Amino acid sequence: MSTNLDVNAVDKKIQSIRQIASELKEIGRECPALDRNLVRLSASIKMLELNFSDVASLDA
Amino acid sequence: MLNEQPYWNPVIETLSREKLRSLQLKKFKAIFKWAYENSRFHRSLYDEAGIKPEDIRSLADVRHVPKVEKSMMQRIQRKDPFPYGDALCVPLEDVTEYRQTSGTTGQPVYQPDTWQDWEWWSECWAYILWAQGYRPSDRVFLPFGYNIFVAFWAAHYAAEKLGCEVIPGGVLDTQARILKIQELKATALMATPTYILGMAATANNKMGIEPASLGITKITCAGEPGASIPSTKKRMEAAWNAKVYDHAGATEIGAWSYECTAQPLGTHVNEAFFLVEIEDIDTGDIIEEPGRRGKMIITALDRIAQPCVRFDSKDVIEWDSGSCDCGRTFRIIKGGVVGRADDITKVKGVLLAPSAIEEVVRSIEGLGDEFEVIVDKLGDVDRIKLKVELAPGFEDKAKEIEPRLKDQLRLKTNLGYRIEIYDYGSLPRYDVKAKRFKDLRDKH
Repeated sequence: MSTNLDVNAVDKKIQSIRQIASELKEIGRECPALDRNLVRLSASIKMLELNFSDVASLDA
Repeated sequence: MLNEQPYWNPVIETLSREKLRSLQLKKFKAIFKWAYENSRFHRSLYDEAGIKPEDIRSLADVRHVPKVEKSMMQRIQRKDPFPYGDALCVPLEDVTEYRQTSGTTGQPVYQPDTWQDWEWWSECWAYILWAQGYRPSDRVFLPFGYNIFVAFWAAHYAAEKLGCEVIPGGVLDTQARILKIQELKATALMATPTYILGMAATANNKMGIEPASLGITKITCAGEPGASIPSTKKRMEAAWNAKVYDHAGATEIGAWSYECTAQPLGTHVNEAFFLVEIEDIDTGDIIEEPGRRGKMIITALDRIAQPCVRFDSKDVIEWDSGSCDCGRTFRIIKGGVVGRADDITKVKGVLLAPSAIEEVVRSIEGLGDEFEVIVDKLGDVDRIKLKVELAPGFEDKAKEIEPRLKDQLRLKTNLGYRIEIYDYGSLPRYDVKAKRFKDLRDKH
């Protein structure tokens, strides 16, 4: 079994999450519960980028 | 549906070779630039060699980038930013993980990781575990020390990421671990081959428990070549009635290679996350073709706190010529990591890999799992001695076993040995990584 995943569509959604996380990070500079959890979220987003966005970028 | 998917990431694991190579080049450029711009150590190394990020235009250009050896890291550390020194590429406050190498080849190397690096470590392991059949229904028992050495730490986090239930068997002794596996009906286990065989012996000989009865269905090994040595793998699989899979990784590198359920007599390189080159030990040429052994030069393409760019790992490997039934496009290392360049030595002018001796000893019925190899010199002549044990139940078979052992050793290693046969339990036992090869020639 392989996949019919549309990598470009997945990448777009990932970039949306990245954008929201960046905006939250700006807002949360004085709130540890926001800032520190966003560090973790950002690392998870990076793993999605390594898995999908990097491949999508090959076609760009 | 999800559990039937054979790949952790079908997009990457079945990517065409052409796209994989493009991805590697793109990522190599990025990590090289990152190291050049953020690490004083790397920048100075590259400036001295006259190479800059914009000089990397093809994968062929990569081989002009200077290699990094462990000794270089040992020299630059224990200085500011303490304790990592000039290779640190991120602010100290971004470092969340500390691990270190074992120090068996000198001063330990300190390994800093950011939280992103640590996610990356467990992502590498997620590829491994999914490929080896781990699924959310598994209850995974981890019998390791949970300390400063990376060991199976990232495997723990990866198993959680997959959705497995993880039992940390840290400070328990071997018997307590076996009882806990039995009590909780664990389905999977991870350890060094030495410890897997040692656990089986303890269960059998000290506890009267048949390890095959414990319900372990799969075992992931690391730290030693054993799981890719057919006779050792066979012994482990027979003892536990489980599939045994190999994996290769290192503190400074990451978890870079893994066997899949197709068991292709080798391990896949995760080429989306790592660039592996094989260098001829004598000439320094890069080996592209299958069947020629050399030492591995490896780049971790996404690790940022302390980059691993063209690291001279000293692992001896060779490319396999075939593809794998599993459908992954990642290349295969034939027989996994065969040994360390430091361990492969000439005896009487013949190249000897200790793993070849292990393959012979473990293939002979009636011999125990333990052995010891001692190389020394009498005058100008090399001598090699092999100490083995008789397995329980074979106490009166030494005279039959010895000639078979000598013949097989001659056949597989082209060397003659002085054989010493001992009773079961006489040779040293090791808890984690074994030290069964002793070369005493430098001391003469």
